[in-house]
This record gives sequence, C-alpha cells and structure tokens, in this order.
Amino acid sequence: MTTLCGGNLSLSLRTALTILSCAVIGSSSPAALASSADEQDATQSARLEFFEKKVRPLLVSRCYACHSADTKPAGGLRVDDLNGLLNGGEAGAAVVPGDVNTSLLLQRVSAEAGKRRMPAEGDPLTDEQIADLRQWIQDGAVWPAVAVPESFGKTYEWYGDVRANHWAWQPIQKPQVPVTQSADWARGDIDRFILSTLEAQGLAPAGEADRSVLIRRVTYDLTGLAPTQADVDAFVSDTASDAFERVVDRLLQSEAFGEQWGRHWLDVARYGESTGPSRNIPYPHAWRYRDYVIDAFNADVPFNQFIREQIAGDLLPTTSDTERNRQAIATGFLAIGVKDVNQRFKIRFEMDNVDEQIDVVSRSVLGLTVSCARCHDHKFDPIPTTDYYALAGIFTSSENASGLRNQMGGSGLAYYVPANLVRLSGHEIPAPPAEKLAALEAKVAETKAKWDTIRGTPAGLKKQPNGQPVQRKFRVQYDKALADLNALKDPVENGGAVHGIREGKVADTAVRLRGEAEKHGPVVPRGFLTTFSVPGAAPVDVQQSGRLQLADWMTSDNNPLTPRVAVNRIWHHLFGRGIVSTVDNFGTTGDVPSHPELLDHLAGGFVHDGWSVKRLIRSILLSRTYQLSSESSAQNVAKDPSNRWLWRHSPRRLSAEEIRDSMLAASGKLIESRPDGSPARELKMIEIRDNGPEAAQLHAKAAKSTFRSIYLPLLRGVVPTTLEVFDPAEQTLVTGNRQTTNVPGQALFMLNSSFVRRQSLSLAELVLGRQDLDDNGKLTLAWQKVLGRLPEESERQEAIIFLANLEEAERERLSRSSDLAANEGAANTAVTTPAAPEVPPLDPDQVDQTGVAIAEDNVVSSDPRLSAWMALSQALFGTAEFRYVR
Amino acid sequence: MLPQYQTSRRDLLKSTSAGFGMLALAAMLKSDRAKAATESAKSSLQPKFAHFPPRAKRIIFVFMQGAVSQVDTFEYKPQLQKDHGKTGPEGGKLVGSRFRFRQYGETGSWFSELLPNLATHADKMCWLRGLHTDTPAHPQAVVQLHTGAANATLTRPSMGAWMLYGLGTENQDLPGYVTINPPPNFGGAVNFGSAFLPAHFQGSRINDQGYLPNLKARTDSGIQRRQLDFIQNMNQRFASLPGTPADVEGVIQSYELAFRMQGKVPELLDISDEPQQVLDAYGVRPGPAGSFARQCVMARRLSEAGVRFVEICQPGWDHHNNLHKGLIDRCQSVDQSTAALLTDLEQRGLLDETLVLFGSEFGRQPTSQGEDGRDHNITGYPMFLAGAGVKKGFVYGGTDEYGVRAVEGRMHTNDLHATLLALMGLDHEQLTYPYAGREFRLTDVAGEVKREIFA
Repeated sequence: MTTLCGGNLSLSLRTALTILSCAVIGSSSPAALASSADEQDATQSARLEFFEKKVRPLLVSRCYACHSADTKPAGGLRVDDLNGLLNGGEAGAAVVPGDVNTSLLLQRVSAEAGKRRMPAEGDPLTDEQIADLRQWIQDGAVWPAVAVPESFGKTYEWYGDVRANHWAWQPIQKPQVPVTQSADWARGDIDRFILSTLEAQGLAPAGEADRSVLIRRVTYDLTGLAPTQADVDAFVSDTASDAFERVVDRLLQSEAFGEQWGRHWLDVARYGESTGPSRNIPYPHAWRYRDYVIDAFNADVPFNQFIREQIAGDLLPTTSDTERNRQAIATGFLAIGVKDVNQRFKIRFEMDNVDEQIDVVSRSVLGLTVSCARCHDHKFDPIPTTDYYALAGIFTSSENASGLRNQMGGSGLAYYVPANLVRLSGHEIPAPPAEKLAALEAKVAETKAKWDTIRGTPAGLKKQPNGQPVQRKFRVQYDKALADLNALKDPVENGGAVHGIREGKVADTAVRLRGEAEKHGPVVPRGFLTTFSVPGAAPVDVQQSGRLQLADWMTSDNNPLTPRVAVNRIWHHLFGRGIVSTVDNFGTTGDVPSHPELLDHLAGGFVHDGWSVKRLIRSILLSRTYQLSSESSAQNVAKDPSNRWLWRHSPRRLSAEEIRDSMLAASGKLIESRPDGSPARELKMIEIRDNGPEAAQLHAKAAKSTFRSIYLPLLRGVVPTTLEVFDPAEQTLVTGNRQTTNVPGQALFMLNSSFVRRQSLSLAELVLGRQDLDDNGKLTLAWQKVLGRLPEESERQEAIIFLANLEEAERERLSRSSDLAANEGAANTAVTTPAAPEVPPLDPDQVDQTGVAIAEDNVVSSDPRLSAWMALSQALFGTAEFRYVR
Repeated sequence: MLPQYQTSRRDLLKSTSAGFGMLALAAMLKSDRAKAATESAKSSLQPKFAHFPPRAKRIIFVFMQGAVSQVDTFEYKPQLQKDHGKTGPEGGKLVGSRFRFRQYGETGSWFSELLPNLATHADKMCWLRGLHTDTPAHPQAVVQLHTGAANATLTRPSMGAWMLYGLGTENQDLPGYVTINPPPNFGGAVNFGSAFLPAHFQGSRINDQGYLPNLKARTDSGIQRRQLDFIQNMNQRFASLPGTPADVEGVIQSYELAFRMQGKVPELLDISDEPQQVLDAYGVRPGPAGSFARQCVMARRLSEAGVRFVEICQPGWDHHNNLHKGLIDRCQSVDQSTAALLTDLEQRGLLDETLVLFGSEFGRQPTSQGEDGRDHNITGYPMFLAGAGVKKGFVYGGTDEYGVRAVEGRMHTNDLHATLLALMGLDHEQLTYPYAGREFRLTDVAGEVKREIFA
C-alpha cells in the first residue's frame, strides 16, 4: 500500500470537516455566571447564533476583501479567525473580549476614526451594524471554537509495541566481540565483526588494496583531495609497520580534514547562504557558521559538545569573548534555514520556521522525521502530535535571530531587521545620537510617503528620456533613506553580528490542529520525544526556553540515537554506505542495520571515548576492512552484488567539490588556504533574483575563485556552475546521502565548460613548462597529476599519436581561422568573453524576467602544441577514472 | 587510426537505442537481479509504461506568471457589467471590464477584444473555470502550481520532474523536460527542480535565445571527436578492470549522448530555419518584443522532437495598477503567438498527442484596487486545456455571477495535477517516491481526477 503524509498545511475545508466532529466550545466570557450548566449552554448557543447571524456575515461582506486568509492581511490584520482579531494587526489587538472601550475594531468603524475609518471602500457601517459588533464584543466575542478531534490525545495503540521493540530506540548494547574461524585476518574488533558475518555468508574477503590505491583512497576520504606524488612515493616506499598509521595521523592533522568533514556536516545542516525559495534573501554572515564547523572538526571538538553548541551555544557557560562568540556563531545552525519571508501571517511564519528547526535538528542528530507529527500523530513512528508541540514550545520560546521578518510583498530592505541579529561580543556600538536618529527616521517617513503616493500612478509610470519610469527616483530615495537609517542602527555596519538564536518569550505552546498555526488545541508542556527514553536526562527548566535541556537530552551518553546516527554517518562516508543505509532515517520505515552489533560496538565506543570523531575515524581506517582492495569476484558478486557485507571496498565517485578541487590541484591553481569570509558577505539582506545582477556577480566570483569548493558562495538556488552538474547537496534539504547521477550535462561540462578548459590549459602549460622532461616524461607527469599513476605503455602510445594528430589538426584549423581574422599576434593564449546582449526590460516597472545569456569565457590557445596538450589534459580530466576513487 | 572496437561500441550503443531498457529487461529475466533492475529502471530516463493508456504523450504549459485578469479576457460576467460601481458580495467596489466581449465559434464562447486570435480556437478549448488554490501571494502560489505544495520549508519535485520520473523520455538525444525563461524569483529553480527525486529528472532551463549551458562545442567537431574517442578508450579500459562500478557504463553513454546533443539541440533551438510565413504567423521579431513568440516556436519544435514536458512563460500580469494599458500590452504579446502555436500543432497533427495547458498561478478580483487595478483572487479563476485527451469546446466548472468564487466544478491545484497526470496515463496515487521515511506524491494527500473533461 502506498503511504503518505500531508505536508501541505493549507488543507481545504472539506478535509477539515471530515476529520473533525462539529462540536463547538465557547470562549470564556466575563458576563455573569449562569446558575446552571444548561442555562450556560443556552446563553452560549444564543451568542453563537448572534455571531453567525449578525457578525460573521458583516465581517465577510465588508472586511474579508482586505483582511482574510484568502485575500491579504492589510495592516497585518485578519478578521476571519478569532486569534487574528485578538492578536490584531500593526495597530494592536482589534478585539478585547468584553471590553468595548479598548477594542480597536469598534474605534475604527466609527465616525471618529476620520480618514482611517473602515471599511476603506464603500459606505460606512450603519449604526445598527456597529451596535451588533459592540454587542458581540460586550458578550465576550464568542466565536465557534476550533473543534478538537475526538481522537485527540488517543495515540495509535501500536505506539507502545513499537516503542518497546524497534531496534533503534533500545539502549545501546555492549555486544560480545565474535570469535572468527580465521584467526589471523582481523586486526581489531571491527574486523572481527565484519569477518564473522562474511564467514556466515560464505564470502571470502578481497585482498588488500595496493599501497598507491590505498593512499589515494584515504587522502580523498580525509581531505577531499588526491595525495601529492611525493606523498604517494613516500608511502609506497615506507616499509615500516606503522607507515599507514602515520599517513592517517598526518591527514587527520591537516586543515583539509575539517574542510572535508565539515562539508559532510554542512550537508545535513542544510547549509545555505540565503533563504531559498519564494523570496531569496541572502544570509551574509552564514559563512561564520561554516568556518565554525570546519574549525570544530579540526579541533576535534567532542561531537556531543559540537551538537550542544549548535542547539544551545548561547546558553552554555563561557570564560571569554572568543568562546562566547564561537558558541553564538554555532547557533547559526538553527537560523540559516529555508524561510518564506513573504508569508503573510506572522504566526505562520514563526511556526514554519519552528518546523524547519525541528526538522533539521531531529533528522541531522536523531535520524528521525519528527516533522510528520506537526499535523497528526506520526503514522509509522511513535511520535504523537503532543511530542511535536512539546518540542515546538522550546523553539517558540526562543527567538530565531536570522535578521529577518515576514512581510507580504515588499522590496528592498523591507524584510531586514538589524536588531534581530545576534551581536558578537567585543563589537559594541555606541547608541546613535538621538537627533541624528530622529532626522533619519523623519527622512524615511517622508520618502516613503512620496513613494507610496506616486507608485503605480500614470504619472509615476511615465517614462523619462533615459527609459526609466518617473517613479524610480522616489523608490531610490526611499531605499537610500532606509539604508542610512539601518546603517546607523545596524550592528553589521559597526562590527560583528551573526544569524543565530537566543531566548525569547518563554511559554508552552498549544497543539495546532492539523498543523494550522492559528488553530489552537490544548497547550502541552515543553519537553522531549516520548519515542524512547534517555535515563538521567533533566526535564525542561520552566524558567528557560528548554533548549539547553534539549541539547543535553540529545547528547546524553544514554541517548540511544545520537551516537548511533553519528557513527553511522562516519561509516557511510568511509564505506559509501552506512551500516544503516538510510542515514537520515532510523525510524521504522528506515533500513535495518546490516551489522547491528558492530553499530552498537562503534556507538558505545564512541561515547566511551569522549565522542571523538577523529579517534573513531582513525580506528576505522586502521581496520583491515577499510584497507581491502576494490577488486571484485564473480562468486561474491553472485551472492552479494551490492557489497552489503563488505567483502571488498566499494569504489565511489568523487563529490562535486572533490572533482572541482582536484582539477584545480592538478592544474596548480588551487589555493588551499581559507579565504576571508564569503562573497555573500558583501550582500545586503535584500532579495536577489537568479538572473539579477547580484546572482550574476556571485556566479562570476564563483567561476573565478580557485579556493576550495567549500568556500564558494553557496546561496540557495544560485549553485556555482562548477559544482552544479555533479550532484551537490540540495541546500534546502537535510542530505546525509548525496545522489550520484550520470547525465549528459556532466559530459558537456567536461567537454565544453570554460572552467574545465581553463584548468586543462593551465595543466598543459605546467607540463610543457617542464623543459627538463622529454615528451615521455611530460606524459608521465600529466598522468600522475590527474590520475595519480603512471601511463601504461599502450596509453602512452595512444597519447603520442593523439598529440601528433591534434597538433596537426590544430595547425590546420588555426591557419584557416588566421586567414579569416588576420591573427592578433599578441599573446598565444586568449580568453575571450563575449559581451552579454543588451536586453532592455519589456516594462520598466515590472521585474525583467528575460533569461540573460550567460557570458562564458572561451578558453583557447593559438599555439598548436599547447592546444594539443590542453586537449590531452582535458581528456584525462574527462575520464571516468579521474572521478572515481577505488 | 582508432582501434576497431571503438566504432563497433558506438554502433552497439546506437543500435540498442533502448539502452538501459534492454539491459534492464535482460537482467530482469534473472530473478536474483530483478530487484536491482527494477530500481535502476525506475530511476532511468528510458520510456516507461504508464499506469494506464495515456491520452496525451506530451504537455506544453503556457504559464502566464503574475495572474491574468480573467474578467477582462475570457470570463464574461454580464452581471458584473450591470452592477459596475456597486459593492461586491465580499466587499470592494465591483468594476466591469472596459473591454468589449463577443462570442466565437459554434460553442459561442465569450472572449474580450484583447484576444481575437485565441478566440478563433474557441471550439478546441476545454475550460476549467472553477479553479482555486491556497495562497494569494505569488511566491507560494507559483511554487504550489509547479510542485503541488506551498510550504517552502520542504521543497517538492516539480510536476515536470514527476512526469519524467513516471514516463521517462521519448527522445534520448534530448532533455525530457525543458523550461524556457522560467521566473527568476517566486521559487526560481524550485519550479523546475527535482528536489528529492534523482537530479536527472529536473528541467533543463534555456532562455528565449535557446541558450543551454556548455552545449556549444569549443573546438572543431572533428577534433572533439578524436578527443572523445581518447576519453572513451580510457573509459573502456577502466570499465574492464575487475571491480569497476557499473556506473562507468553510464559515463560512457552520457558522453555519446552529450556529443549527439551538441549537434541536435542547437539545431532544434535555432528557429531561423522556419519558413518566414511561420515566423510571421507566430509574430517572431528580434529582441525582447519577440521573446514570447520565440518561446512558442521553440515549444512546438521541442514537443515535436519528443520532449515530454515543455514550459514557456510570459510574466508581467500582476496588474494591481496600470491594468488597462498593461493588459493591452500583455495580450498583444501572447494572443497571436499562442494562437499560432495551437494552429501549428494542429496542422502538424501534433495536437492529437500534445496537451496544451494555459493559465496563471491564480486570478484577479472583479472589484477595483486603486484607480486602475485588480487584486489577487485565489477562490475562483480559469485555465484552459487544448489538445490530446480533453473534450473540445467544453466548460468544466464555473464561478459566481461576478467571478469571485468557484461555485461548481471546483478544482483545487491538487485536482488539476491529478487530472494532468491521469491524462498522461499516470495514477497520482501510485506515482510515489520514498523520501525521509515516507512516500511522497505530486498531489500530497489530496487530488481528485476530473474525468468529466476527458474526451
């Protein structure tokens, strides 16, 4: 049977009606208490009838056009929902039940409101209509209550069984290390677990990998780069028994280790430097979180501490500004998610962001999809909706300090709230002088008024001689005034501020029926999942948001999931497949572990060893299992085609980042040091379009950059073209396991992209520059640079013929083209950048959506010999062998 | 000279143009590999069997981004004209259209004077007049129309990606899903993305000049072929090593396909070889003014070549102000070209297998906004279908007398998707993909196929 889960929160009424019983509950009223329950019911139903007869039709016919979920919340107010009226809009609560004097709704519909009198269009309300509204508010603003489903609170009966039996939620065991038939194969306990399964399956393990293969494998796995020739030579000729161990230690100490393993974490942290879909607003400070992650892996920050810092870094004790800042930056994890700033309703914006936080935390750390329980009890895992809102209360009690707010429509800096960012210590700014502040605020008000007046009017849209509409300069003036004001108050302009999280208004939150943010059910106390138990974990401190206790609960030594999920991710990156193949899903719909005892052995050892990622990786690498050859045997393939039992080492395709970095390394252009920040730091928190100038600049910067790929600008939806085709992480989703596709776009990239051609040209120049080498030596060098091995004799022969043919063909081609374009004669290599055709917008006031022809450099050489070697270099980069590590 | 097996290998690939399909079939005969074969077949781009006989083979989605004002174009509301200036049923001042309407065709369908060319196709159209959606803001509504869900925090695959996943592609030399000039905001790449589906199901974005990244060979094709042969030789050697992953075979194939695409795709997207009268019929002009017309010609060529899902886009309908002149401008750019597309498809016999979908992310109100504008309307708006599988000259659903709310034949975005999939031979409840521990589908947990519109 097909199983599904609703994620679309705007469920239609028809669905709602079928799920809900139609009971109505009145809200409390300050009116005199009725003497009996019957009388109370009678009063209540009379009031409800009054509402349905007199008040609701009035709201529908005179207010909905501008204040409802189906239209818009003008002034932030909606009147199609009681909470909408109670919370009110920008001017405050519209309705205060029982209090006719403070209810803004009554003030605004009366004649005294003058110009602000509502409804804005059509006749004013009649005295009788106003009296009805007054009566209704006086009587407590009774509204048909959101009906709580009868089934609410009764979770599925099978929850208990599954809780008690699903393997992942049971305490981590200390399994007995098995005794194997073959006594001398295993180097340690990991090998004993693997070998005992192989023996049980009747599979003979492959032999050990060649040393040159092994060092290539381990160098890629730990650093994302190929070993240098010197490293290969040193290891191949090192006969000491601890030669491999020393290689591993050297690599673990390299800065590149953090870049490779930090990138793995950024995949599951759905790292991105902008809000993504809807309106794409940059996160200019996200790179600090990126650097934090890299540094944490390099410093081998214990994994439990690493998680604690990201969830509650702002609440952890610190002894210095540096430490406080580092931990504040860590909480960027919770702030840099996908956001829909164009969401009309603040409460939905908040609940969507909370959902995003719950999703990333639960899947990255616990391997559970808790988000399913936003709308209903989880259908496969024992996660009731009340668990979800117990967690949600922790996040609603915290402030998502991303620097953004929601707003319907709006442009420029409309979504940016500088004060909402987290300030770093040591960058305090003096309070702005009151006069200056007042002057700028007045300027903003003035320019805004002018802009609002002219915007969209015929006079405003009239074109000036320069082709721009008259109104444009008013917009520019307004934006400028706003930017000046922001600059005065903006911590970013004055020093450090980052996206992060901090404590907010602490309170438990209500279950939202069917996940609809406005539909409150019962309030649930803040807490953690009841899916499994974590003995000894402290409950939520009611004085705080509870994030600190959540972090402690998640990283407790007794949490059965966190260590298992963490070691499984590490295993996945070293073997190409996790012991649990569904690395982000340890729930009942996930895969079962291939080696459950080994998983617990590793997880238990990880905790016992202080959650050290480096030591865990080291112990796995020193196993014989890791060092097996990738050679295959027909017999084993027949029994275990997917290599689930690890009878050999599975080759893997390099990641998008590894492919790009390896080309740059081979061509001699890679800068291995860390750049200062990210190109995204230059951006304001203003929407960027993917064909706009900012995106074009980002693409240009990314194309030029020769830093490691992790440092490229990574705005959602603006993926660098040098990474795009080789399946980089989808930045809007938690990605523990990247896809590996095979598409013609990859071949086209290898054949025609200016990036690959530029690296090929550089490599050719590098090789030809080696005057000390003859052509044979040059071929050897090229093979070593790209493939990390010597050319075979047949390859050498073929390459020589290829070069000769190509040189000849190039010479012919060039003589033909020089006839045409009487050769410039200057440099013998050229990079030509075609000018982008000018595409004026169709209507100056509409966003230009015409696809911009992307200017691509044409990398060519006018020296036939260089051309031929460039073609050879490019061919080597294009081989499948280059992009696989065995 | 090249070694002999090179050429024979290419011939082999050519002759088994079914490629993976043949391999998968062969493998499936061996039961122990059946599962793996099914998996790889499901993820491949090869043509696949539909759930039931398809009524349409291909879709061209003509997307009017920004929301066309329906009461000024193809939704005639006499009561609105009569009650001009009065207060509407849900507030606001009713404003009749300033454009004249008249009837066309045997069906007597009403069109405003803005659409004289499209109106000539009145009897081909199958109108869905009771559409409604969830969110009256462009970003969410555009994303919902393309992916089925407005919730931005979990990105879903686009409908074109679902169709490729379900049906594969007919022409192995071309991308199966092409989107021309998609909106650069309002979800951007999400609207043609594959999200958690394998990446090769995503749409290929080209612009109205036919630009596709890295498609242009940077050297003579003879030289490039030599280079490619060298690469393939190396790949062949690598593939023959024991333990090399089977994916390497895919790398070899992808190079051959890429090489063919370099030749065919630019040719296909270069519309200059169309006869002048065809270009004139579409209204092709140089520069931005001819953008949409070029998209229409390219859409026909791509569809004709077997591209499963083509989307073209005309933005700029968001007439909160400047409605009158704005509509005249927009309709001028769209009316002739879209009509020519329908005529051209029909004349080539393509309309029998191609389904054209025309419309916006939502509609506009019959009431006024400011002096000369209309606000968004998500509670009732139209789209039309024409071509394969749907009734001709048919109207399904309708709105109230002013065009505020859909009152009959109501059709949510999920229902639209369910119906489109059904026309393509796919059961929206069966077309699922596992992600994050559950099965996802284009229609989420809803969607009803409206069989009433089937021919």
